[in-house]
Amino acid sequence: MNSPDLQLDEQKPTVLVIDDSPDVHRLLKARLKQEEVELVGHTDPRLGLEYARGTPPAVILLDLDMSEMDGFEVLRALKDNPATHHVPVIIVSGMTSMQDKVTAFELGAIDYVVKPFEFTEFRIRLRSALRVNRLLTMLSTRAQLDGLTGLWNRAHFDSRLAEELGRGARSASPISIAMADCDFFKSINDTFGHPAGDSVLQGLAKILRHECRQSDAVCRYGGEEFVILMPETRPADAAAVCERIRVAIENVTWPRHPERKVTTSFGVVGLNAAMEIDAAALVEAADKALYTSKKTGRNKVTVIELDAPVSAPSAVAA
Amino acid sequence: MPDMPARKPVLPLISEFAGDPEMAELVESFASDLPSRIDAIIAAIKSQSVTDLKRLAHQLKGSAGGYGFQTLGASACKVEQGLAKSTAPANEAIAAVDKDVRALVDLCYRASLTAPGAAPNRPTW
Repeated sequence: MNSPDLQLDEQKPTVLVIDDSPDVHRLLKARLKQEEVELVGHTDPRLGLEYARGTPPAVILLDLDMSEMDGFEVLRALKDNPATHHVPVIIVSGMTSMQDKVTAFELGAIDYVVKPFEFTEFRIRLRSALRVNRLLTMLSTRAQLDGLTGLWNRAHFDSRLAEELGRGARSASPISIAMADCDFFKSINDTFGHPAGDSVLQGLAKILRHECRQSDAVCRYGGEEFVILMPETRPADAAAVCERIRVAIENVTWPRHPERKVTTSFGVVGLNAAMEIDAAALVEAADKALYTSKKTGRNKVTVIELDAPVSAPSAVAA
Repeated sequence: MPDMPARKPVLPLISEFAGDPEMAELVESFASDLPSRIDAIIAAIKSQSVTDLKRLAHQLKGSAGGYGFQTLGASACKVEQGLAKSTAPANEAIAAVDKDVRALVDLCYRASLTAPGAAPNRPTW
C-alpha cells in the first residue's frame, strides 16, 4: 500500500448474504445478476459471521429469524467487532413489527427490507448501502493521508504497525521499520523560505515512494520525519533499501536551491523472526538508531537488529 | 380430514412472475422442489416434530413470496405463527395447526403443478 492515491478498487464489491433459507440465496443470486457485485452466501449465521470477520464485505444482507442463531445477535456481533462494525447491514426479514425495525436500527442496521420484497426497490436500496460503504472507505482513507506529501500519516502508521506486529507474531515472519529525518531541515526553511522547505518534503516523499515496494507503507511521521514500515523484511535488507534512498536523495539537484544538497539520516530497526514486541518499543528503538546516525555525522543509515545475538548499533554507511 | 375436494379439478397456483423471463427458470426449480417440501412437512407431522415443521414453514414463508407465490408465503406464515405461540405438547401443538398445515400443503401441491412435467400425486396423510 505504497501509493494511497492509487487505491481505485478494480474488484466488484462483495455482498454477503446471511439467510438460513437456500431459496433466498438462489433468488438473490438471480435477481442481482446484473448488479456489479460479488455475492457470497451463508445459510449458517455463525459461518457468515466468521466470513465477515475474516473478509469484511461491502454490504451485508442479514435475515433476522434464523433457526441457528438470532439475526439480532448476529447484528450485535457484527457491530461489536472492529473489523465489521463499519459494514452497512441491510436487514432482509419477514418480521414486520415496528419493534423489530426499531431494534434493528438501534443496533446499527442501515436499512430494513421486508420479505417478500419488490426487487426494483431492493436493488436501489442495495446500491444506496454500497454508496455509503464507498464513502466510508474514502473518508477513512482520507483521514489517514498526509495533506502535503500525499503519503500515509502517522495515524495510519500506528494502526498498520499494530496490525503487522500481530500478523508477524502469528506467521513468525520478519519485520522492519525505518525512521528517516531530513538533515538540517530548519536551515533550509530559514535560508530559502517555507515554500522551499515544503517542496523538499514533497521531493523526499516522491523518492521514498519510488524506492520502496508496494508492500511497504511510507508515512510522514511528523515535521521532516518519515517512517517506512516494511513487512516481511529483515533489518539488513531494510537497511539496504534505506541506503539506496539515502544515495538517491543525496544526488538530487533541487530546482529552488541547486547549490544546496539535501541529505537524510536513517534509523532502521527490525526483527529477523517474529517475537513478542510492542509497537512503542520498536519505534523507540528506531528513534535510537536515528539518533546514532545524527550523532555520528548524519547522512547515514544505522541499523539495530532486535533479535541479533549482539544488538549493538552498526552503521552500514558513512 | 376436512374438505379436501377429491373430485374437483385442481387449479395450479401460478406464480406472479410466470411471465418474467428473468425468473422463469428459478420459479420452475422452486416449483419442482415443492413435492420434496411436502414430503418433509408430512414427515415432520408423522414424527410429531414441532421444530422441523416450524423450520419448514419458516423457510417457505421467507422464500415463496420472492418466487411469486405470495399466498403460499402467507399460508406458511400462519403455520409458523401458530406453532410459535404454542406452549402445548407436540401432538397438541401440531393438531392445533392441522387446518393451516393442510391449506399450506394444498398450496404447495398446486404450485408444484406448474413445474414442467410435474405429475405429483395429491398428498394425503
